[in-house]
Amino acid sequence: MLFKVLGAVLLCASATVASAQTLPAEPVSLGDGRVVVSGDASVSVAPEDTGFFNYGDYEHSMLREFRLGLSVAVRATDRISILGQIRSENMDTPEPYALYARLRPFVHHRFDVQIGRIPPTFGRFPRLAYGRDNILIGYPLAYQYLTSLRADALPASVDELLRMRGRGWLANYSVGNLAADRGVPLVNALNWDTGVEASTGWKWLDVSAAVTNGTVSRPLVSDDNAGKQFAGRAMVHFSPALSVGASYARGAFVSRRVLAALELPSDRSFVQEAAGLDVGYEAGHLSIQAEAIGSSWDVPMRATGTIVALQSGSISVQGRYAISPGIYAAVRAEHLTFNRVTGSSGPVSWDAPVSRVEVGGGYYLQRNLIARMSVQFNDRDGGRVSSARLVAAQLLFWF
Amino acid sequence: MRTVALAISLVVTAVASVPAQRPLGSIRGRVDIRRAVAPAERRPGVADLGTAAPRDLPDTRRAVVYLESAPSPAFDELAAGHALMDQHNETFYPHVLAVTVGTVVDFPNSDSTYHNVFSLSKAKRFDLGRYAKGKSKSVVFDKPGVVRVFCDIHSHMSAFVLVFNHPFFATTDTDGRYRIDNLPPGTYSVAAWHEGSTRETRPITVPPQGGPVDLDFTLQ
Repeated sequence: MLFKVLGAVLLCASATVASAQTLPAEPVSLGDGRVVVSGDASVSVAPEDTGFFNYGDYEHSMLREFRLGLSVAVRATDRISILGQIRSENMDTPEPYALYARLRPFVHHRFDVQIGRIPPTFGRFPRLAYGRDNILIGYPLAYQYLTSLRADALPASVDELLRMRGRGWLANYSVGNLAADRGVPLVNALNWDTGVEASTGWKWLDVSAAVTNGTVSRPLVSDDNAGKQFAGRAMVHFSPALSVGASYARGAFVSRRVLAALELPSDRSFVQEAAGLDVGYEAGHLSIQAEAIGSSWDVPMRATGTIVALQSGSISVQGRYAISPGIYAAVRAEHLTFNRVTGSSGPVSWDAPVSRVEVGGGYYLQRNLIARMSVQFNDRDGGRVSSARLVAAQLLFWF
Repeated sequence: MRTVALAISLVVTAVASVPAQRPLGSIRGRVDIRRAVAPAERRPGVADLGTAAPRDLPDTRRAVVYLESAPSPAFDELAAGHALMDQHNETFYPHVLAVTVGTVVDFPNSDSTYHNVFSLSKAKRFDLGRYAKGKSKSVVFDKPGVVRVFCDIHSHMSAFVLVFNHPFFATTDTDGRYRIDNLPPGTYSVAAWHEGSTRETRPITVPPQGGPVDLDFTLQ
């Protein structure tokens, strides 16, 4: 036909789409959406972290891991859902990290009850911890850095505590469990606690409260002391751009094993108390979050028969800016500090303060395949290694 | 090869301007979609403290029928159009939008939460950033192709913008019907597209006297 030209009209549709999105991007849905499965996989590489700055609760560095996660939601009825997540780090046996029932007693009312191994009530970051929501490769110090404090083993004296300063990755004490093990972070974002949580909200306010077996530092499946933790969080949305949250938690921290070693009644409780304040601002291509957390642990000292209040505080500010479609830059600056206790050599912070700046960025190879790179500068006022500059790269896929 | 193709195209285009007064025809029909396309579900909100608000589901039954090759006058001058893709109840409306090259598409946010419209498609890469209810941002689609549109905040939100460099295309209605008008007589290759891929291509001839020609598609 003379009227025709051989102009390309559409770049072959399937080819175009394929080039934009070659890996599965949507969660797998079964039974008309009653069962939804999503997953993520990440590979992070970095030089060895000889100062253990990035060691989490898994005895390995967060910057050097291969991680697989699978999340499942089963909607049994309009009122009942079951949610779960299994994860595997470095090809270890997959373990369930979340498994709970979500109940909505009044279908049209925003009131939910969650029972089981539930998401953390405390803080802003735990809801940003997974996959693409974490803007950098490392985690905030408050949620990851291991202090020298343990719940199943305690120092007999302040001097014994100070000997473990800057050694949270492998601390050992003379009361309770004598084996060396890792300490606890201020707030554990990776392991989830077991209990009951209720949440509700209005247009401008979200409120939630929980009763759980462990504490924010040490989430538990089975309780190992006589007390429960009570935690609450409120978040005010001043506008779609600006939200401010406040969190509080208080619960028994020290385990029965330590109480037995101290010859104290098993119903005696020594508590962890934590409070947090966080702010989030996002508009246009910019998002900023800031979070301050304070925590206090009551620790009995066998040698003196006294109870020492060990305190720690953290402040973290992070921001992400989308430079162009599919490319962003991010930065996080933070500091972790500890109160002073008096040992035989005078007052010293009970653990070594740490500062960290992580600068990096990400490139979206496709919507759900992100390549990230970051440089992390760590400084610690103590420990065998007092500073570390670590370059890390990560490839993250999610569906 | 490029040189040869360009030469043929120039010759054909030159001839094309002669029979301007000939009667025009149309292609009409129905696209029967027999493959089920489930809307993307929300990812399980395992870290959430409660149930997410209800959302609308996208209309994944729409197809686009278009000419794979077009009459030369179609390429002469395309008037820059204006179109709209709304974001409401965490869904893009419409789910499929077909436009001509140069069209400005507005992306208003009608939800009380933020949205962040973006695309990484070769035909158009853009990122509109986060903006609130009542605000709108626009994108000029200046290259032909399929543009997959997403929301960076709500991963279950997606839509398609099909950009043509001619006006001979139509989106099916709720009943699957379409109609492409103002076609000069000739034989064409007509394609039916649905949810990311061209499913069927068929030849059809618009007779010299013009008039409507029926062409149905069944997409398995």
